[in-house]
Amino acid sequence: MKHTLQQVFRSGKFVVGFIIFCILLLIVLIYPLIVTDPPLTIIAQGTFFPPGIYVNTYDSVNSPSTYILNLENAGVKRIASKLSDEDRLAMQEFLIVAGVPAEDIDITNTPQLLEQWNSNYDPSKNISGMTLARSRYFQRLNTSLKGLLKPEGEILAAINADSGDLEQIGLVNQNDYVNVGEVANVRLLALGTDNFGRDMLTELVRAAGVSLLIGLVAGLVATLIGLVLGLVSGYIGGIVDDLIMFVTNLFIVIPSFVLLILISFSIGQNKRGAFTIALVIGLTSWVWTARAVRSQVISLRNRDHVNLSKLSGHSIFHIILNDILPYIASYVIMAFILQISSAILVEASLSIIGLGPRTTEVPTLGLLMNWAMIYQAHIIGKWWAYFPVLVVIALITFSMNLMNTGLDQVFNPALRE
Amino acid sequence: MAKVMLEVKDLTTKYITRFRENVYAVDHVSLKVEEGKSLGIAGESGCGKSTLALSLMGYYFPPLHYTSGDIIIDGTNISTMKPDEIRKKILGQEIAYIPQAAMNALNPTRKIINLIEDVIQAHDPKAKKKEIYDLAVERFEVLGLPAEVLQKYPVELSGGMKQRTVIAISVILSPKILIADEPSSALDVTSQKMVIKMLLDLMEHGFIKSMIFITHELPLLYNVTDDIMVMYAGQIVEKGTAAQTVFDPLHPYAKGLMGSIIVPERGLRDVKLTAIPGVPPNLKNPPHGCRFAERCRYVVPECKVHPIEMLHIADNRHYRCIFSEEYLRKAYQND
Amino acid sequence: MKGYRKYFLNKILWLLITLVFAFILNFILPRMMPGDPVAAIVARLAQGMSNSTGMKQVYEQYTSLFGTNLPLYQQFFIYVNNALHGNFGISFSQYPRTVSDILKSSLIWTIALQFPAIIVGWIIGNTLGALAAYLKKGFDKVLLPVSIFISNFPPFGMAVILLVIFAVNLKWFPTSGGYGFDLIPNLSWKFVWSVIVHYQLPFWSIVLIAIGGQAIGMRSMSIYELNADYVKYSRFLGIKDRKIVWYVFRNAMLPQVTGLALSIGTMVSGALIAEIIFSYPGLGTTLLNGIKGQDYPLISATTLIITLMVLFANFVVELVYGLIDPRIKAAQAD
Ligand SMILES: Nc1ncnc2c1ncn2[C@@H]1O[C@H](COP(=O)(O)OP(=O)(O)OP(=O)(O)O)[C@@H](O)[C@H]1O
Ligand SMILES: [Mg+2]
Repeated sequence: MKHTLQQVFRSGKFVVGFIIFCILLLIVLIYPLIVTDPPLTIIAQGTFFPPGIYVNTYDSVNSPSTYILNLENAGVKRIASKLSDEDRLAMQEFLIVAGVPAEDIDITNTPQLLEQWNSNYDPSKNISGMTLARSRYFQRLNTSLKGLLKPEGEILAAINADSGDLEQIGLVNQNDYVNVGEVANVRLLALGTDNFGRDMLTELVRAAGVSLLIGLVAGLVATLIGLVLGLVSGYIGGIVDDLIMFVTNLFIVIPSFVLLILISFSIGQNKRGAFTIALVIGLTSWVWTARAVRSQVISLRNRDHVNLSKLSGHSIFHIILNDILPYIASYVIMAFILQISSAILVEASLSIIGLGPRTTEVPTLGLLMNWAMIYQAHIIGKWWAYFPVLVVIALITFSMNLMNTGLDQVFNPALRE
Repeated sequence: MAKVMLEVKDLTTKYITRFRENVYAVDHVSLKVEEGKSLGIAGESGCGKSTLALSLMGYYFPPLHYTSGDIIIDGTNISTMKPDEIRKKILGQEIAYIPQAAMNALNPTRKIINLIEDVIQAHDPKAKKKEIYDLAVERFEVLGLPAEVLQKYPVELSGGMKQRTVIAISVILSPKILIADEPSSALDVTSQKMVIKMLLDLMEHGFIKSMIFITHELPLLYNVTDDIMVMYAGQIVEKGTAAQTVFDPLHPYAKGLMGSIIVPERGLRDVKLTAIPGVPPNLKNPPHGCRFAERCRYVVPECKVHPIEMLHIADNRHYRCIFSEEYLRKAYQND
Repeated sequence: MKGYRKYFLNKILWLLITLVFAFILNFILPRMMPGDPVAAIVARLAQGMSNSTGMKQVYEQYTSLFGTNLPLYQQFFIYVNNALHGNFGISFSQYPRTVSDILKSSLIWTIALQFPAIIVGWIIGNTLGALAAYLKKGFDKVLLPVSIFISNFPPFGMAVILLVIFAVNLKWFPTSGGYGFDLIPNLSWKFVWSVIVHYQLPFWSIVLIAIGGQAIGMRSMSIYELNADYVKYSRFLGIKDRKIVWYVFRNAMLPQVTGLALSIGTMVSGALIAEIIFSYPGLGTTLLNGIKGQDYPLISATTLIITLMVLFANFVVELVYGLIDPRIKAAQAD
């Protein structure tokens, strides 16, 4: 036993898979201790906020101490954030059409460009061949350019309760800074938000946990059924074997995915919890385990040590437990690992076609994927809504299969070459 | 003086394992087989018999590698030949091989006749199918195998039939030397007898000129071969005629092995064979002195100092021990 | 040939049995489940709560067509009989189209997409696997982990990634559909070209999905065969290496053919989801629409068709296997 374990941990593939898996598991277990928000609360008004650190503007303005930093590039950066190179080229194009000689335009000279723009731009002017979208773009650009070069700060004003007049209560200068650490409300959204406005990372970690649980339950159910059927069929043989093998072969050719669809649809959206889905997946994926266990048992059935045990009058249970199970344990463990990873994939596939667990309680990796697909995150470029989910799914299944390949190489030396 | 069919001089080969360790399973082996003669090789499991058989073919592929030595077949030194030349001109034609596990030696998806076609055409691309078929039928008939076998797949043949088919295929090109690696060990007694008879028939019909027969069942060797060599841990430790090696062994290991021949029951023989106490040395790192020293009951400290040379005491009579012939004989008598 | 006939009959019998069970399962599973959609339909019908006349018509047609007021076993025979006549009722969600009409238009897309893709994936995968086993060293070191990764990458993930890279970012191919949405199916060049362009991404994502698993299987089969005793023996018979390599790959490939028969169901499921990602007008998308529209007749018919397709594909592969593995004829002859 100890020797086997040693050998297993000497297999590079197994170790890599094991490490990846343990890291995932640790994250799933530890993250909720640090970020205690419930994963499904909607925090954002709007969809798909990009990943980043969100600093509360109100708190920043009212921050107890402000700092003045005279940084050289601040102005340039500010302008660049509103006026990109693309915008400059578009402006140049417009100006030329508007009659400004091309050689007079220098798009790197911001003040001059703006001046030319201000004196030539006319929203009502229609350039032939300009689409509506383009003219809207110019209108938007024009608005955002307002006050781009002004040196003053922004005035903060409040309504005086007595007079009803707007009174200046503060001024935010261009070189005013706050220390993020002193701002009361800062929120890190490492993976942004999803279509509902939930914190994607928190949701993802929780979903990974739930999916792993689904995999575990489904894997246990499938392995258990497969093991029992395989043992019975292989050890008892005869008509029992024929019957079990008939059913097994039947379910091998009839696609289990179809059964899953029929069952999950019939159960109905309201009754489909994560646990139910796990059970259903387990119930439809035991066939390969049953077959593998059976063939192992058949090859063991007539070995000397089993015969000896029979002769000494041990019961079937005793023989199966002591003389057969230990020899097929490695196969069963390998099958179990594969079941877990395939169950996670199956859950995801089911969810994508809208037959996953009901959506109100817990997220699963499949549901996250489903939501992202429904809201077309992949087409509108909101990568954080689907890509991390794919990566997590792939890491889970990849790590488990690496472990499995490693085990296989330890237990089936022919593949070692 | 008969013609020497196979002469091997100081042949050394090694396995290079996955972990890049060298296993010298054939270490400076020399032997000679004359025309019309057969040589038996005996030794415990793992002593390198199969490796020697493979090495004698002169055609190496990983993990087995050639290190040094010469293999001379009927006057031609094949050690200097290119692998593809050996494949084309030597294998099957000059020297042939019967594997230890004949059960799986045939490609399961190829009919016997197609395999024979492949063999013959590999050496003579112009050979016609019809000629090959005629040759195969004739050869099978002479060897007492039904011609229907040719049209069958290996799965359709019984174990004994498969083994005899393998033998017939091996010698289809009438090679000069046949190397048979435990051709009978996996079979029942009747099939075993048939296989041995078949090998002897091959010599008689002139399909082969000489034979090397490897086994760990010593009684078998005594009845089948003219000479016997005993191998231990990759080295030859004793060489002589069958009668000499069996009834008058000199090396203590050979003595230990041969002790078993006197016991008549089949089961007990095997027990005795392995009954020499201890286990053979690890060939990754063999002892510097006598390799048998650890297990030898006559061991003296000098045994472990230097590698032991082969002693040549008479024509075709050798052994590898620091003790003299007389000393050993006396020691055995006192037991 | 006698051996093959026996094999053939055996497989036909098995096909028939599996077909019967496919029908039974498709019929009985929904009716056994707590949510039983059929009962729900009938209940709604009995209460006369269907608000639109169209819905009511559908339900009525459904009752008469499937005899939902008759005992279960009679319902089953009616169901089988209807199904065999291609009569699956009227779709709930796409009223007044019949289910068979919807299926007819999507089935062809699925068949044209999935079967070539699975075959191509199988061939490429096996070639790569064989090469990895034969060349070892660097090629194998790269191929094995990549294959393990790909074969464990969720099928829909592969589709999404391809879509994002080649359709959204590079804009080489369209993001969805089976042909340009502004075209009407006809045999013009423009339409055919549009179909070809739309075909590429779904096709290659299914191919990629198939490659991974096949490559791994073929690699281990080949390694196993390369170490077989007959390889060593054949070498010592002087047979050329090229011929021996051919023996090995032929023998390694045979189990892969049976493997294909067994894994076709899984591959088709993955491919259906790839269809959904690309909104390809095949059965996958039809299924998705059925689920979205709570359209029981459509779902039931689609799943049945998918099962039948898989069973037939399986059958064909088994027949091919019988032809190419010489042992089948031999073993069945006696
Ligand atoms: N492929 C290999 N790689 C490394 N070492 C090997 C390999 N094959 C055999 N050996 C080693 O070479 C030695 C000789 O093996 P060989 O098969 O020649 O023995 P043998 O005498 O034929 O035994 P048996 O009677 O069991 O057939 C053994 O110690 C074995 O461990
Ligand atoms: Mg051997």
